[in-house]
Amino acid sequence: MSNQKRASLSRREFMKAGIAASAALGLGGAARFTPKVYGRARAAKKMIILGMDGMDHGLMTGWLAEGRFPTFRKLLREGGDFRPLRTSLPPQSPVAWSNFITGMDPGGHAIFDFIHRNPKATDPVSFFTFSAAESLGAKKTIRIGKTIIPLSGGEVRNLRKGKAFWQVLEEAGVPATVFKIPSNYPPVPSRQRTLSGMNTPDLKGSYGIFNYYTNETMAVIQEAGGGGRVHDIFVVGNRVEAVLPGPTNSFRTDAPETMVPFQVFLDPANAAAKIVLQGQEFILKEKEWSGWKRVHFNLIPTQSVSGICLFYLKEVRPKFKLYISPVHIDPARPALPISTPESYAKELERHFGPFFTKGLPADTSALVNGVLDEEEFLELDDMVLEESMAMLEYELARFDEGLLFYYFSSTDQRQHMFWRLTDPTHPAYDAKLAARYGGVIAGIYGEMDKALDMALRKADKDTVVIVMSDHGFNAFRRGFNLNTWLLQAGYHRLSKPWKQAESAFFDNTDWSKTRAYGAGLNGLYINERGRERDGLVAAGADKDNLVREIAQKLEALTDPKTGERAILKAFVAKDVYRGPNLEMAPDIVLGFNRGYRISWQSPLGGFPKEVLEDNTQKWSGDHMSSPEVLPGIVIANRKIAAEAPALYDLTVTALNIFGVEKPKEMIGENVLE
Amino acid sequence: MGIVNLVFGWVVDIILLPFQGASPWFGMAAVSLLTSLLMLEVYKLTSNQAAIRRAKDRIKAHLLELRLFKDSMRVTLRAQAAILKANLSYLAANLKPLLVMIVPLVLILAQLSLWFDRAPLGPGEETLVKVGLEEKADPVSLPMELETSPGLEITSPAVRIPDEHEVAWRFKATAAGPGRLTLRVGGLILVKSVAVGGKPLTKVSSLASRGSLWKQALYPGERALPAGTPVRSIEILYPAKSLSVFGHRVHWLVAYLILSIAFGFAFKGVFKVEI
Repeated sequence: MSNQKRASLSRREFMKAGIAASAALGLGGAARFTPKVYGRARAAKKMIILGMDGMDHGLMTGWLAEGRFPTFRKLLREGGDFRPLRTSLPPQSPVAWSNFITGMDPGGHAIFDFIHRNPKATDPVSFFTFSAAESLGAKKTIRIGKTIIPLSGGEVRNLRKGKAFWQVLEEAGVPATVFKIPSNYPPVPSRQRTLSGMNTPDLKGSYGIFNYYTNETMAVIQEAGGGGRVHDIFVVGNRVEAVLPGPTNSFRTDAPETMVPFQVFLDPANAAAKIVLQGQEFILKEKEWSGWKRVHFNLIPTQSVSGICLFYLKEVRPKFKLYISPVHIDPARPALPISTPESYAKELERHFGPFFTKGLPADTSALVNGVLDEEEFLELDDMVLEESMAMLEYELARFDEGLLFYYFSSTDQRQHMFWRLTDPTHPAYDAKLAARYGGVIAGIYGEMDKALDMALRKADKDTVVIVMSDHGFNAFRRGFNLNTWLLQAGYHRLSKPWKQAESAFFDNTDWSKTRAYGAGLNGLYINERGRERDGLVAAGADKDNLVREIAQKLEALTDPKTGERAILKAFVAKDVYRGPNLEMAPDIVLGFNRGYRISWQSPLGGFPKEVLEDNTQKWSGDHMSSPEVLPGIVIANRKIAAEAPALYDLTVTALNIFGVEKPKEMIGENVLE
Repeated sequence: MGIVNLVFGWVVDIILLPFQGASPWFGMAAVSLLTSLLMLEVYKLTSNQAAIRRAKDRIKAHLLELRLFKDSMRVTLRAQAAILKANLSYLAANLKPLLVMIVPLVLILAQLSLWFDRAPLGPGEETLVKVGLEEKADPVSLPMELETSPGLEITSPAVRIPDEHEVAWRFKATAAGPGRLTLRVGGLILVKSVAVGGKPLTKVSSLASRGSLWKQALYPGERALPAGTPVRSIEILYPAKSLSVFGHRVHWLVAYLILSIAFGFAFKGVFKVEI
């Protein structure tokens, strides 16, 4: 396995492990919110916010100048306004959307990265934690043989601090519907309608594990990769017997993985097959997607969990290839909390049937690993988009007061995966694919134009409409191995230097001689005495001097291949964040130059040989740059007074529309005239 | 069997037709009420009412004995034996009416399943049609063709499964209304009805089969397939239907049994029936 491959897998493995714990514990009985209908107070003003993840200010400006996107241009012609939107530091979606949700920066809401580290961890695996949620198991259990009976409910906790804007609106009697906003899993307690978005796990509790059944030898290590598992199957007499893995059975002492068997019957000549799964029978032609299929995983005789998944028959012969999407939480019987009130998800399911509930439903892992090709990935993401549009239409149709926030993920996901085909200098550029898919990103921006059109049709003169993104986008051509750099610069020490390339999760680190380490996607931490378990550097002047020294060196680092600086700015956290919740903050936050990003291996304590390396993966666009070079967008049907508003300004602006005073911890200002 | 099915089908249809446009609960309540009244009458006529009353009285008397003489092991044991004996007498007295009622009841349940077990396809909905073949027939070499009436469309090639003696197709309902699938096997033509759309309570026949009397009784929705052909059955996988109570789904059979029992007990006094 190449280092590159191994690294990319590790990151996802982390995600998987993090959320897996959440779900496994939550299945034991997560807290539920009271399904009450919120008593509504009618407000004169209304507000629709369309959140389009990752829409880039530079791209948008260029395309608008070319005369694309008729609705956006019409809105601007008719008195609307368009500004760059200052993103978060770092510009990662959980951080950025938390800025918007709370009206604070990470110093207030305490989400600094996708990944946090546990400085007191005693083993490499528990060193890294998922920043957004944690799970607490049942406090009391009894054991009967090999069965564990929980006597109390478990709990999944949202780790974001501060009040969400819809909670503030609720206190003021303003109704709100908040649809799939990221960083809201589990949804914070509220009587408003909210549906969780990014960070919502699949039924296995992972970031999204697809299953791939084939009799072809697969070179990719899927299982370790988080994102996919390959099942070697045999076609015997035109018949395939296989199992679909489900969540871990936390009712058993040995915590086995649940399994549901299924059969595939291939026609001897036609490129079609019949699939039989728990009494459901359906036929798929080659290169055809099934609709949602419901699957029940039995835990103990009285307990089971229900999930939903999609099947895709990629090939019947000469090789058999069947893809099954990650098993999503069934919105009709949610095993984990995904909405407030709990009935909201069920209501949507009754209206639309099963729907995508996993945080980011586009299966980027399947594309990265070659299980789905570009066309197949887009077919899947088109289903996501189609569903999003239908649900937006549904919510708009009944929207008559208060605030509606509606989120789109496809903008972000398609830019991550297709940037390489818009940039001939990208290491993963492919001219043939570019000819076919080079317009995908512009295409999804065009779809957002249609979403805006739907919202504007609903808006009357009292309705403020805002389109916003959380950050911009740029190429990810070169990866920076922060930990390798720290090692070479003498700030980090390995116990067995000859095993550098195999190191992961800091399992080879000599903490007694290490002064700094990189963890997460933008974070650098000092191994501080008293804070870290084996801290070395004294807090105060010693640490401050070290922080300044490392920051200066990082900002001076140039890439020998391009001659460009890899890091535009190394931000000293205590100087840039406001708020009382800095205990999990990195000491330095890296602000990368355009085209650069943290490498695949470094975030989880890996040490590849090279400090800088080409990114040859299909995951080719990203957003970890210095915030000033990566603004998002804000477009409104009102004039925007501020030249460059920030995400947290929009929070205060939303409250201001309804005459709600901003809570004192919010740091933003109203930006509309 | 065809005539019996026709008669029972006609009776159930007459009962349910007025309720087609309403919630299925109304039809279910009506048919439960009428069948419970019918069964009460049948029970009254075919059971030994005196023996049943006697058995129940004995059970009550010995239960009283148990309570009064609970300190006497001997009396307690004797009372328990007597209760057991009285119970057996009660069951024996019920045997004849049960045997008499079971036949019409099965036929009624088979008819009700046509109305309550499966929902018709919605326009735009896809499902499978499965053709079951004789064990000797080879689905790969057997020439078979499926044709649809307007409003239906075949959306997949045939999937032939020799191990299961089955050929399946996927088809799509494109418009509401009754449809037909025509299966050509060699020179033989077989027709299967398809229900698409319709009122909340619509009769749906999922299986056309040939074979035993028992199968014909259980699947009375269509005429039996002709004998002497390689086709054993033609089945359409309609979506399952259930009754809804405050958002919870209840199987129609459970609803029918509960309602019938409730009506039976409610009216046993009126009909002066000892159950």
